[in-house]
Amino acid sequence: ILDDPDLKDIDPTILKHCHAAAAMCILEAGKQKADIAAISTCLEDCKLDKERIEQFCTEYQKNKDALEILLGSIGRSPLHITDVSWRLEYQIKSNQLHKTYQPSYLVTLNVENSDSGSHPDVSFSCTMEQLQDLVGKLKDAAKSLERATQM
Amino acid sequence: CSFFEGKLNVSVDTIQHGVEGLSYLLTESSKLMISEIDFQDSIHVLGFSDELNQLLLQLYLDNRKEIRSILSELAPRLPSYHSLEWRLDVQLASRSLRQQIKPAVTIKLHLNQNEDQTAQVLQTDPSTLLHLIQQLEQALGEMKTNHCRRIVRNMK
Repeated sequence: ILDDPDLKDIDPTILKHCHAAAAMCILEAGKQKADIAAISTCLEDCKLDKERIEQFCTEYQKNKDALEILLGSIGRSPLHITDVSWRLEYQIKSNQLHKTYQPSYLVTLNVENSDSGSHPDVSFSCTMEQLQDLVGKLKDAAKSLERATQM
Repeated sequence: CSFFEGKLNVSVDTIQHGVEGLSYLLTESSKLMISEIDFQDSIHVLGFSDELNQLLLQLYLDNRKEIRSILSELAPRLPSYHSLEWRLDVQLASRSLRQQIKPAVTIKLHLNQNEDQTAQVLQTDPSTLLHLIQQLEQALGEMKTNHCRRIVRNMK
């Protein structure tokens, strides 16, 4: 805003105060999921005229959803799984043991950290039975989710 | 070794060499998974009595499986899957946003790495969970395809 030609006549300190105040107001409204009536009342108490209140509310309404998504994504949570890759291999031999002849899966879970955004992926190997166990448990979780949404 | 020295009336060195030789014989044979005939042919050159050769063969066959399972633990390995626990959560509010309904699945993944068990807590959302299930089911299905079956058949 400090570079905006329309605002260059205004004292930069006041500009900053205005910006901060507006930001605070918007964030607090977003955080509390306030409706338009509540925001209007609040702005009336601050002695803003009707036209300005209407303008503010219209702009707020336009960006409300994006604001909520942004606010909802702030905060700590465990590493978040975003994707999975897998590899199926058939082991033939190692230098310690020949003729092993066993299928084996290598599964990599791509994870994201809410803070820093990147984190080494979680990789592990498993046999077919273990993978079946894993998938079975995930399917239980999914079924539970479905039941919970129907309650 | 010195215990047996007295019993068998041979030097400690001889006993040690004997034990080492025996374990080398059994380890190499188990590693290569050689057949009975090949084993017999191999020890024949050592010039032992037939009775001893039979004993050695029996020793090999009896212990082969266990030796192989011990050897399999020496190969390079990634952490391997042990088990998984899950929990359904719904986030209702946070410091930055009130009145939320955000479902999440929290997962505790137990892995084995070189005899240590590690547990990692991870989280995912419902749609990613369904995606994971679909992908991993595809992975399981691969072993049943003709391509994989052909390879397994021809590699014995």
